[in-house]
Amino acid sequence: MHTLNLEVLTPSGSIFNGPVQSVTVPGEEGEFGVLSQHVALTTLLKAGVIDIIQENGKKQSIVVNWGVVQIANNIVTVLVDGAVAIRGDSESDVAKALEEAKALISSVADSSAMIASVSARVESAAHSHLF
Amino acid sequence: MANLKEIQRQIKSVSNTQKTTRAMKLVSTAKLRRAEELAKRSRLFAQKTNQVIAEIASRIHCNKIGGIQNRCFVQNDAPETIDIIFVTADKGLCGGFNMQTIKAVKRLMSEYKNKNVNVRIRGIGKKGIEFFTFNKVELLDEVKNLSSAPDMVRSSEFMARSIRDFNDGIVDAVYLVYNGYKNVITQELHINQILPVSIGDFDCESAKNTVLELEAQDEEKMLDSLVNKYAEYNMYYALIDSVAAEHSARMQAMDAATNNAKQMVKSLTVKYNKARQEAITTELIEIISGVESMK
Repeated sequence: MHTLNLEVLTPSGSIFNGPVQSVTVPGEEGEFGVLSQHVALTTLLKAGVIDIIQENGKKQSIVVNWGVVQIANNIVTVLVDGAVAIRGDSESDVAKALEEAKALISSVADSSAMIASVSARVESAAHSHLF
Repeated sequence: MANLKEIQRQIKSVSNTQKTTRAMKLVSTAKLRRAEELAKRSRLFAQKTNQVIAEIASRIHCNKIGGIQNRCFVQNDAPETIDIIFVTADKGLCGGFNMQTIKAVKRLMSEYKNKNVNVRIRGIGKKGIEFFTFNKVELLDEVKNLSSAPDMVRSSEFMARSIRDFNDGIVDAVYLVYNGYKNVITQELHINQILPVSIGDFDCESAKNTVLELEAQDEEKMLDSLVNKYAEYNMYYALIDSVAAEHSARMQAMDAATNNAKQMVKSLTVKYNKARQEAITTELIEIISGVESMK
C-alpha cells in the first residue's frame, strides 16, 4: 500500500501527524483529493472539512477555517488557523467536538448556505465515526 | 549601641527584600511554565509557515517566474524607508532582557541611518517605549500592555499597518526585533526580516528541477493572503516567545537577587556579632578598670 505523510498544524500545536492512504482537502478552487505520488502543489484552503483515510483504513475528519496546503515529495503539510478534529471515544466526546466545529465554521463562513453545507458534512462525518 | 541597632535594621530590610525577590521568582516560574508551553506548541507552526513561505520566495527568486510582481517576494538591496518593530516587556526587574533588545534596535537603526535610510520605529512594550521616548527618538507607534498578554487580534492589527505601508510602497523593508526564549537560562535575540520575505540560504540548485506549482486562478491573491498570514503570525509568535523569555529572564534575575540578599544577610550578621562582642568587651573593660581604680 502506497502511503503519504500528512501533517496538520495549528498555531496551538500539531493535530495530526502520520502516514495516510489519502486525504481530501477543501481547496480554494474546490475540493481535491491527494494520493501518494501527487504532484508538487501549494494552494490555499477555505473553511471546510479535511477527510483523512488512515493507513489502517480508518477514517478521520478535521474541520478547518482557513489554511494553506503544501504537497511535496509525498509529504502533505497543512497549515491552518483553527481546527477541530471530529474524534472521541464516546458519543458525548464526538458531540462536543461537533459543537466546537460548528462554532468554528460559523465564525468564518460568510454565507449561511456554506455553513449549512459544511455542517451537514461534519455531521455525516461524525456519524460514520460513531457507527 | 546605635551601631548595633543600625545593623539590625539593615538585616531586617535586606531579608524583607529577599522575601519579595523570592516570591517574584516563584511567580515567574509558574508563569514561565505556561508561556513556555504555549511557545513550544506554536514553534512548529511558525517554523513550517516560514519554511513554506521561504520556499515560495526562493523559487520565485531562482526561477524568475514572470508575472509575479508581488513586492513581498522581490528582494530589495537599496531600501529607502524601513520599519523596525521591537518587542520588549512591559515590566522591568528582568536583568538585561529589555536592554538587549533596545541595544539591537539602536544598532540596527544607526546602521541604516548611516546608509541614509529613513527608519521608522514601531514599539511594543512599555520599557522599550519609555527608553526611546526618554532619549527623544521618535516612535511611529506605541503599543502597551500587549507584550505581557499576547493577543492574536491586537497583534494582527498592529502588523496590518506595516503590511499595508509595505504594499503601498511607503516602506521597503520590515524588521522585527525581539528577545526570544531558548531555554530556561538563556534568551536569544532575534532580528528577523519579515518583509520582503527573506530567502535565507536556500539553494537555487535544488530548486531547479522542481517547479513552483500554485493552484489558484489568481496567484496574486493567494500569495497576498499567505504573506498576510505569515507576517501576522510571525508577529504573534514573537510576542509569545518574548513573554516566555521575559519570564525566564526575570526568574534568573530574581534568583540572583535572592542569592545576593542571602549573602548580604550573612555578612551583616557577622558584622552585627562583631559589633556586639566589641560592645561587651568595652563594657567589661570599663567595669574592670572601675574596680581597679577603687582599690
